[in-house]
This record gives sequence, structure tokens and C-alpha cells, in this order.
Amino acid sequence: MIFAHIFFYVFAIILVASAVMVVTARNPVHSVLFLILCFFNAAGLFLIAGAEFLAFILLIVYVGAVAVLFLFVVMMLDIDFSELRAGVQRYAPIGGVIGAILFLELVLVLGGWKVSPLAAGLRLTPMGYGISNTDAIGRVLYTQYAFLFETASLVLMVAMIGAIVLTHRDRRRSKSQVIAQQNARNPADTLAMIDVAVGAGVKAADIRRPDPALERPGEVVVLPDEETHEPVLVAPEPRSH
Amino acid sequence: MQPLLSQYWPILIFGAIAGGIAVAMMLGALFAARQKPYAEKLSAYECGFEPFDDARRRFDVRFYLVCLLFIIFDLEVAFLFPWAVSLSHIGLFGFFSMLTFLAELTVGYVYAWRRGALDWE
Repeated sequence: MIFAHIFFYVFAIILVASAVMVVTARNPVHSVLFLILCFFNAAGLFLIAGAEFLAFILLIVYVGAVAVLFLFVVMMLDIDFSELRAGVQRYAPIGGVIGAILFLELVLVLGGWKVSPLAAGLRLTPMGYGISNTDAIGRVLYTQYAFLFETASLVLMVAMIGAIVLTHRDRRRSKSQVIAQQNARNPADTLAMIDVAVGAGVKAADIRRPDPALERPGEVVVLPDEETHEPVLVAPEPRSH
Repeated sequence: MQPLLSQYWPILIFGAIAGGIAVAMMLGALFAARQKPYAEKLSAYECGFEPFDDARRRFDVRFYLVCLLFIIFDLEVAFLFPWAVSLSHIGLFGFFSMLTFLAELTVGYVYAWRRGALDWE
């Protein structure tokens, strides 16, 4: 057990130290990197506590996804942190008052904390031997707590739709490839072979370049060759954008 | 030592070796290499130029949308792990509760698809 104690203190000290660095680091990107270090150490603490599933979910979800999102948010907000810090002196009193109120609330909550008598009973029913942590969670999560589980799925769906509604904009003006449309085209739609009389001009044969505004990408124009007067296929001139 | 923790010795050793190599490389560069810093070494090389502005600038919100969709599906997969492990014990009810979960998220997925949120033009 002495090893577990040593590692508990190692993880806990690094966790607290990097949490302090998250708050005090000058560069917000460094703050996020320290937050990732926090997550790793918290995962270590979870492992020591025997919650291996939580530990690895913490790594997969928080380190793998949430930390990236935090990085995006830090970059997207485009905050000038030196400008923010310039007002520290001015806003220190009101910030201090709010901090004191929050601290007082924490003290009241923790002071009024009562351990339920049922909690002792819960500790006496540990998961059985031979059942892994993940298995134990799975056995209750999908049956006993199925309602909460389905609610979680609804919350995720609302988050997904909300994100799309807030951030997605149609950009119909941009050019995108519709592969089905390209495959559906055949030469008969777009290609005509025309016999042009010798010496007759292009206009006499009623052949003209398509209007660039109407032209579709990939269009092929039939134009008679200058010397042989055989119809040849000429790709249209690139549209000017 | 708990039997659970003893299974993580290889990971601990792996981490220790990785950290040791990283620290050794930095210390090795610090002690073994010749160091003659001067200002010209930090300046832009040949036709390089000084950066125009900060790298941390505002960029397209679509990256954020992709990241958020990734997190949601990441969580969905995270819920699948304990379900797969305990599938033989939770019966038909547990099986269908996961299918309902997936169906609800599929609604969101279809919405994302139809709105074109997954397209990158």
C-alpha cells in the first residue's frame, strides 16, 4: 500500500501545482496545456481509487476532445489578455467581494454537510470479486439507471443541434462537386457532331461559344478546326471569377 | 498493493522511460552541446521574414463545430464500452436501452447531415 500512498501524493501534488499554473499562466494556451496535465494526474488519482473506467474516460474524452475544444475557444475568443490584465487594479475590490461571497457559500455548504447514514451501508456493498470496474458500471447503467442514460442521450442531441444552429451557415455560393450529377452526364447531352461546309464560317454553321454565365463546369464546345474544318472538341475558356 | 494497481506497472514503467528519455535529451543538449547564443541566430533566415502578426488570431467557427460534433460522438462511443463488456448480464432491456440511446443520437446525426454541418467546402 505504501506505493499507492506515494503515487497518490505525487499525482495530487502535480495536480494542484498544475491547477495553480492554469490560473496564473500568462499565455492562455499554456493554461490549457497545464489543464491537460491536470487531467492526466486526475486520471492517475482515479486509478489509485480503483475507478479505472473513469480514469480512461477522463483521458479519452477530456484530454482527447474537451481540451482541444478549450484550445479552440481560447483561440476563437481572440482575447487580448494584456488588455484584460490592465484592469485588474480597478476591478480588484468587486472581484474580491464576489470571491469572498463564493468562499463563504462554500464554507456554509461544507459546514452543513451531513453524511447520510445510508452512505455507510453503501460502502459495505462493494462490487464483487471478479467483476471489473467497467463491467460493474455497465450492469447498472443500462438497466437500473436507464432513464438517466436516455436523458444523457437527449442532452447530447440537444447539444449537437444547438451547436449546428449556432454555428452553421449555408455557403451555397461556393463551388462544390456533385459527383452523382457528374456521373449522370453522358456525351449525348453535351456533345454534337456537326459537318461544316468547306469555307463556311463558324457563324454560318450557327456554332458559338456558350455564354460564360450559363456555362456549366466541364462543358465541351464543338468548334471546327481552322485548317481541316473537322469538328474538334475544345474545352471552354476558364471562367473569370 | 491492490491487484488492480499492480496491472498498471507496465504503464508506469513506460511513462517513466518516456519521461526519462525526454529529460535526458533536454539535459544532454544543455550540457553536451556547445552553446554560443547571439542575437543573429534568432533572426529570420535568408528570405524568411518577421511574422506579420500573432498566430493566435480568430479563425473560422466551423472548426469549433467539427470539434463539438467529435466530442458528442466520442461520448457516445464512451458509453458503448461498458455496454459491450456487460452485455451478457444486462439482458434484452439493457440491449434495447442502448439501441434507444443510439437512435436518439442518430436523430441528431441525421439533422447534422441534412443541414450540411458535416460538409467541408
